[in-house]
Amino acid sequence: MAPRPPAPAALTPETRVLSRNFGVAGSWTLAVARERGAYASLEKALGSMRPDEVVEEVKKSRLRGRGGAGFPTGVKWGFVPKDSPKPKYIVVNADESEPGTFKDRYLMELDPHLLLEGALIAAYAVGASKVWIYIRGEYPLCIERVEGAIREARAAGILGDRVLGHAFSCDADVHPGAGAYICGEETGLLESLEGKRGHPRIKPPFPAVEGAFGCPTVINNVETLMHVPWIVAHGGEAFARQGLPPDPANPRSLGSAGTKLMGVSGAVRTPGLWEFEFGITLRELVYGYGGGPLEGRAIKAVIPGGLSMPVLTEAELDVRMGFDELQKAGSGLGTACAIVMDDTCDMVDACENIAHFFADESCGQCTPCREGCHWMEKIFRRIRSGAGTPADLDLLEGLFVNIEGRTICALADAAVWPLRSIVRKFRGEFLRRMRPQPAPGAAAVAGGR
Amino acid sequence: MPVEFPPPELRAACEEIVARYPVRSAAALPILHLAQRHYDNWISPEVEAGVARYLGVGDAHVRGLLTFYAMYNHRPAGRHEVWVCRTLTCWLRGAAALKAAALARTGCARAGEPSADGRFLVKDMECLGLCELAPAVFVDGTPHTHVTPEALARLLDACE
Ligand SMILES: Cc1cc2nc3c(=O)[nH]c(=O)nc-3n(C[C@H](O)[C@H](O)[C@H](O)COP(=O)(O)O)c2cc1C
Ligand code: SF4
Ligand code: FES
Repeated sequence: MAPRPPAPAALTPETRVLSRNFGVAGSWTLAVARERGAYASLEKALGSMRPDEVVEEVKKSRLRGRGGAGFPTGVKWGFVPKDSPKPKYIVVNADESEPGTFKDRYLMELDPHLLLEGALIAAYAVGASKVWIYIRGEYPLCIERVEGAIREARAAGILGDRVLGHAFSCDADVHPGAGAYICGEETGLLESLEGKRGHPRIKPPFPAVEGAFGCPTVINNVETLMHVPWIVAHGGEAFARQGLPPDPANPRSLGSAGTKLMGVSGAVRTPGLWEFEFGITLRELVYGYGGGPLEGRAIKAVIPGGLSMPVLTEAELDVRMGFDELQKAGSGLGTACAIVMDDTCDMVDACENIAHFFADESCGQCTPCREGCHWMEKIFRRIRSGAGTPADLDLLEGLFVNIEGRTICALADAAVWPLRSIVRKFRGEFLRRMRPQPAPGAAAVAGGR
Repeated sequence: MPVEFPPPELRAACEEIVARYPVRSAAALPILHLAQRHYDNWISPEVEAGVARYLGVGDAHVRGLLTFYAMYNHRPAGRHEVWVCRTLTCWLRGAAALKAAALARTGCARAGEPSADGRFLVKDMECLGLCELAPAVFVDGTPHTHVTPEALARLLDACE
């Protein structure tokens, strides 16, 4: 067994915010959820707080979006116009198609009432009358559990006219996806919610002003919203005291407040999901909780959060799992579900696999993304076949420049980041797969392992 | 000829779905899920036209959805649909061998094409969100995890 790291430990059932009810029999039913305190925060918000006070509390909490981009949630809620005559919507991003990521699946399967409670508090805060929960089609049990929770909540007067007897009405429905990664991108999701292909929109207008069906809309990730009941119960400041504070040296730093579900999958002994306060290192996560490498192998590289972030080498794992910290280390927190590659993983093959994903999932609207992802995949395939030359690595570098930052949405950037980091950090593996070169200088360009 | 859509047995469910949305056409995704389940696991051009008429959109709009979203079949599909995850984590944990086993056992020439006997369709899928239990496979909508080629063969043999 790999040694458990001494600190910080995973949270205990008492200190958990998101996974409090994991492991409790029937946690997804209203009866059990209520016994364990569900909807008390909704009652508190509706009964004793004005909507703007709820927004203020969430701002104070420094809660940042858990869908990957880390945008401050309270600030996003504040963008919704107060004087719009149109209906307003809360859209829950439960598309969770980011490879390596499975946190929202646990949350929806095990605690759908906490999700409804968070979404209803958000709806009250911004004046929304309807919640859409966009769940990927490949999550049948999540769809069943969330739909079940909606039915129970309606029957109990928690959804519908006069929520819990207060002068606030709101309903909720599930919208099932049908297999498309791009529908996790918030505006692709809105198109898909409207019954169209998931083609991301050009922003502005931002969804807060013109979102679902042309109406003001707040889109938040499942995990983001599930923090909100705790914030309402204990106050924004109590939430902000957990986790990592903003970097005093950087006035733009927002810190990483609160707790986070973090996962590990891939080449480790005990893949899984745990809730931590921000602050554990990636090494502690991968070795201490993920159990370290499989028998007889060594860890080579880790993508810290999903597939869409730059890779870190084994030597770079001592970074703390936080938004600013991982960015400073040249990567990003992403979804905080790490994918681990070991010494049996050929990085050229891995790049082909990764490039294929993005080529497959590009929606096709932007030329750099549509053509570029396929082109990258073809180059990796050529290198794999042994027909590559060092010029292919230059060609890739040129493609990275011409793809990144030149498209409607961030899928294209998400393709470049892992691939570019692997090509640069493991350059030697690519050169070794190439035809012997007449120029003797070629092999000396190594820099990877 | 478009089929009469929805058929009587789906009418109530379809009306309930359409009523959720401020515009009728927004119901397309859940309606297509229902239709595909009802009509032998695929949406024929006739069903496509029926759904289009029901939602008040053009046939081409529905065709656009069927080709965009991985879960819909716009060609005859096998009676049993097998999804093999091909994305990084599953690939690291042996997904390539699973795909080979799936094709060999079902007699499908390649992913995306049904077997000659119409029994199976194998699809390459991207991350199914079961990565901590990789490698992952779905058979007829039911997830299976930590799948070995032998276990997959047994699962497939149990399909009619
Ligand atoms: C290609 C792409 C895929 C995305 N997939 C997801 C997803 O599956 N789930 C999610 O919550 N956010 C996803 N996002 C981020 C969303 O666009 C958006 O930032 C998020 O839903 C906002 O919610 P938050 O502020 O609560 O994080 C994706 C973004 C991109 C560019
Ligand atoms: S970057 Fe790619 S996925 Fe995003 S809108 Fe453009 S083509 Fe579509
Ligand atoms: S990579 Fe296969 S389930 Fe996530």
